[in-house]
Amino acid sequence: MPPDHTLMAESATSDVAVEVRGLTRTFGVRKALNEVTFDLPYGAFLSIFGPNGAGKTTLVKVLTTLTAPSKGTARVSGYDVVADAVELRSQIGLISHNPLLYPDLSAEENLVFFADMYGVADAQSRVRELLAAVELDHRRLDLVRTFSRGMLQRLSIARALLHRPKVLFLDEPYSGLDPHAVDILDNLIAQIRSDHTFVMISHDLTKGLALCSHTLILARGKVVLSAPREEIDEAEFADVYRATVGMGVA
Amino acid sequence: MAGDSAGLSMRQFKAILRKDIVMELRTKEMITSMGIYSLLTMVIYQVALSQSGTAFDPRNIAAGLLWLAFVFTSMLGLNRSLVHEKDQGCLEALLLSPVDRPVIFFAKATGNLVFLLIVQVLTIPVFAFLFLQQGSYAGEWWMIPLALLAGAVGIAGVGTLLATMSVNTKGKDFVLAVLFVPLMYPLLLAAVSATSAAILGGDGSVQQFWTGMSMMAAFDAIMLLASFALYEFIVGA
Repeated sequence: MPPDHTLMAESATSDVAVEVRGLTRTFGVRKALNEVTFDLPYGAFLSIFGPNGAGKTTLVKVLTTLTAPSKGTARVSGYDVVADAVELRSQIGLISHNPLLYPDLSAEENLVFFADMYGVADAQSRVRELLAAVELDHRRLDLVRTFSRGMLQRLSIARALLHRPKVLFLDEPYSGLDPHAVDILDNLIAQIRSDHTFVMISHDLTKGLALCSHTLILARGKVVLSAPREEIDEAEFADVYRATVGMGVA
Repeated sequence: MAGDSAGLSMRQFKAILRKDIVMELRTKEMITSMGIYSLLTMVIYQVALSQSGTAFDPRNIAAGLLWLAFVFTSMLGLNRSLVHEKDQGCLEALLLSPVDRPVIFFAKATGNLVFLLIVQVLTIPVFAFLFLQQGSYAGEWWMIPLALLAGAVGIAGVGTLLATMSVNTKGKDFVLAVLFVPLMYPLLLAAVSATSAAILGGDGSVQQFWTGMSMMAAFDAIMLLASFALYEFIVGA
């Protein structure tokens, strides 16, 4: 199945949450991203697959303004990732396999800190609301360094949702979670699924396909396949994935 | 809108500064290591000069010894102030937020300045006990604190910028030292001159003090402006 950008491109209008055109990012002579192009409508859930070194994390770093592109353009929620970087940052959230939290601050202190960074109005009540949503209100005064991996990930979700972002980026969010933590993360995503656009990196084909509305396979920085979920034959997709990635279905 | 933006920047500045101070009070990593290192350096100087004989007046080199201790102590602490931001991707989280990069710089530099001043306050009594015998300090009481403050501003500003540059490198301590010492040379020269004038007194010492202070003020202003302009580029590199 060749890359077919029109499958995802519902025209580059205001209903497009993520618009990527000819995006290239080089590190020295190596092209981490090579002419990547795709669109993603608001409310969609994009799962990005690919082997290690395919450019998945670089793509998310460019889309979240952490890395500047070498060539091409990208717009998220209508904002250019270079020209409108500061404005864009208030529209996006990132949940990574790293919790992105300060271990020597309590759960509440971490969230209040990030609420201040995002200029969240009525920070205390928003923090309490999110701590309750991720079932950590009973541990709100405990230092984050005492938290389990699952608790860290739940708090990380609360951090990412503090400022009510429109687009959420998830970089292998299930990595290292126990089954109970996976269930909680699944439930949290389900709760906010209808209000957000998601871009998720995953090595887990089953999980990624179960959640997504759109798919993308990257290899060596290039788009190998992109298609809406309903147009995908799972067996065929798994074959393409295996051939490209050189590994079995997770 | 400009007022909103300035208000948000001030809120972000306070949040980063408060976070750094709370974390330092909790871990005491920087103050403990910098304080002990500074005090040990004083003791080593004292031992090194113990056989210099009565003809040698340690006051002549006391200012230089004091600033050497502060420069080495700063290099020890400045890296730590950025290293904890790297832990678990916290720097990435900070950079993901809609904060102007100079706000991060000024907040981190202010935090480093506070910690450096605390270390100076801890060190000065030991320095005075070891190197300034009773009645041997010739200047006005406020001269040394003023010189220390002006020097600390420059060290904190330049040090924060360089620590940000070096934090992603493999040999961050080495990189910081290699960049820090040459850049700090003019400030160090002015600081030693002003502090010497305060300690030794004599004809022209007041003029020497204010000349040193002027040089330090100029260095601080230039370096802070340069850091302000460069921080966005450096933190994004």
